Amino acid sequence: MGVKLTALLKSPWVFHLSTGSCNNCDIEVLDCLTPRFDIERFGMLLAGSVRHADVLLVTGSANRKSMERVKKLYEQVPKPCLVVAIGECALSRGLFIDSYNCPVPVDKIIPVDVYIPGCPPRPEAIIAGIVKLIEKVKAPAQ
Amino acid sequence: MKREDVLKGLKERFAGDILEFSEKSPKRLYIEIKAESIKKVALYLYKDLGCRFNIASGMDMRRHFEILYHFLLEDLNVQISLRVKLLKPSKMSSPAVGGGGSMDPPPTTGGNDLVLPEIDSLAPLFEAANWVERELHELLGLNFRGHPDLRKLLLPDDWPQGVYPLRQDYKEWDPNAIRDRGV
Repeated sequence: MGVKLTALLKSPWVFHLSTGSCNNCDIEVLDCLTPRFDIERFGMLLAGSVRHADVLLVTGSANRKSMERVKKLYEQVPKPCLVVAIGECALSRGLFIDSYNCPVPVDKIIPVDVYIPGCPPRPEAIIAGIVKLIEKVKAPAQ
Repeated sequence: MKREDVLKGLKERFAGDILEFSEKSPKRLYIEIKAESIKKVALYLYKDLGCRFNIASGMDMRRHFEILYHFLLEDLNVQISLRVKLLKPSKMSSPAVGGGGSMDPPPTTGGNDLVLPEIDSLAPLFEAANWVERELHELLGLNFRGHPDLRKLLLPDDWPQGVYPLRQDYKEWDPNAIRDRGV
């Protein structure tokens, strides 16, 4: 991870991608943006388009149809970018592991940098995960 | 129109079609009918009684397929469920039919569209039955006679022909699927 990425992470713009989740993780992600948790104090903003994003945030167990969409969106993110998987479904598909419609986990489709477990993870866990990611990226530059 | 009159009228009108008539509760009514008379019973419920068609649900009961057509009679607040049993063709229970899969070793389920269990489609009567019949067709492998457009609804386009995921004898067909958590 180079200087370019470090610079971007002063204020990471996040694109939130739900690949067929139950929306619980999505609600927790939205909760991070509320004044109570106020993730904007770390400079994080939700981007409207994936082409403006530095971080791709994936929730949900990717199913056969959304797998293709995940791949396409990942190709559109300006590189270098980071991928954060949120929730048990995005990590290992949770209880959908034997589903005919969820053949592979998200990290076999696109490279994932941070895994935030939980069903759903609390906003504190999401913030902790992303702050750790930022510190990890910044560390070699110092 | 009273509740008793409606029930009595139903019983009398379809005496030859009804196999079982059970009132689980004042609000819940299950009527098991012959598969071939689904169209006229549904038409009577929908057009003459003014029921609302909620949804149809299908299930693989090992010996037969069961479809429940749920109708809501709003005037009396009665939920009427028409139960239809479709026998499995004997060919489908033998595991060596296969041969329909386009991209992998032949799956054990079905494989030949000719042996699908059949029932009359309700989509020509009311549009609400259209999508749910497409869904039942692709997930359970039931054939709806007279359906205007029996394409796939939910499954991806590269799903192999003749594999029906909600059947009891569904087997994993995808060699690339990973079924462990990697820990």
